[in-house]
Amino acid sequence: MALLQSIKKSKVSLFTIAAYLLTLVISQEKFGQALKGTTHYLREMLVVMPVIFMLTVLIEVWVSKDVILKNLGEKSGLKGFGFSVLLGSLSAGPIYAAFPIVKMLLSKGAGVANIVVILSTWAVIKVPMLANEAKFLGPRFMAIRWVLTVLATYLMGYFMAMFVKKEEIVGTSNPETEGLTIIDDYCVGCGVCVRMLPEVYELNNRKAQIKVSDLTTVDMSKVMQTIEKCPTKAITLRGTTVSSS
Amino acid sequence: MDIVTRVLWGVSVPLMAYSFFKKRGLTKEAMGKAKGMMQGMLLDIIAIIFLIGLGLSIITPNEIAGLLSSVDAVTGTFIAALAGCVTLIPAFVAFPLVGSLLDGGAHLVPSVAFLTTLTMVGIKTFPLEIKEFGLKFTLLRSLFSILAALVIAFIMGGFI
Repeated sequence: MALLQSIKKSKVSLFTIAAYLLTLVISQEKFGQALKGTTHYLREMLVVMPVIFMLTVLIEVWVSKDVILKNLGEKSGLKGFGFSVLLGSLSAGPIYAAFPIVKMLLSKGAGVANIVVILSTWAVIKVPMLANEAKFLGPRFMAIRWVLTVLATYLMGYFMAMFVKKEEIVGTSNPETEGLTIIDDYCVGCGVCVRMLPEVYELNNRKAQIKVSDLTTVDMSKVMQTIEKCPTKAITLRGTTVSSS
Repeated sequence: MDIVTRVLWGVSVPLMAYSFFKKRGLTKEAMGKAKGMMQGMLLDIIAIIFLIGLGLSIITPNEIAGLLSSVDAVTGTFIAALAGCVTLIPAFVAFPLVGSLLDGGAHLVPSVAFLTTLTMVGIKTFPLEIKEFGLKFTLLRSLFSILAALVIAFIMGGFI
């Protein structure tokens, strides 16, 4: 079982190794070319990866998402649009990491247009990725695409709000789970909860899991801190058995 | 190192030093978080880079560019946009790939369409999005994203 899981997790790597072995058997020349091309790519990626890392860290430290979220609320029009673009482009993580945050905003009164803008900008114009784009495709290319994309998301939000009413946005997922849970789909395996509370959380196959069944001995204020720090809001705490003492 | 990379380093290193000096605790915490996130993807990213290297040695960028320009521009762009919807590579790796396709002589318009749909529409996150926002929202958002990608691409074609 554990073996099966680890095979599933590293299927891309295994497939790549198999493809390379096959190429080696068929044509040594192609194999050499592939390695040479890859080395070139890897070197280019390696010089830009630390930059992406540093920008991600800097945004996390210096941009207060709470301020943006508070300002977003029910605001519509240009101001709401501006904050939506800010939130989308300054957040880290893949697009699905935006889902729980966006759902929370919906319940707090944000409109359909803003939701669409957040999701789209989150996907396409993240600041660290803009640095990456500027490196490989040129600053001019990046800047023009950025401007056009921002304009496009505004129009998308406008039209989506015409076609989809807010009441129609009802997902089927409403996990009425008791106690402390981690939504697997949203965990990006950053491990921040494990570092904060190793006696409650553990990392398994790049996903955080809860390893204790009894929460009575755990400092709940620390648990609340991990819920807050989780970048994708994947940790939830529900139920009557736990009080936030 | 090219000029853009140098500028990026030149901007982020001093800022990082300042951040470390001013808010040491928060910076360290954010570093741990970002490191965890990147580590989770690193193996797959490296594997995909190796795959792209292999793919481009079998079909060279010039040949791909040739294939793309054998159909007319509109059809090519449409195909590229759809390809972006179903391709499962991180945007991170897509930029150097598109860069070498452009160097190989591929047209700009389909390349831009591919880049935009690659990140905005994902069949991998489709089920999750339906689960959270419903089918209508998800379908319409994807449709509008494809349209937006096409429009952005064609306008960019006029600019550059």
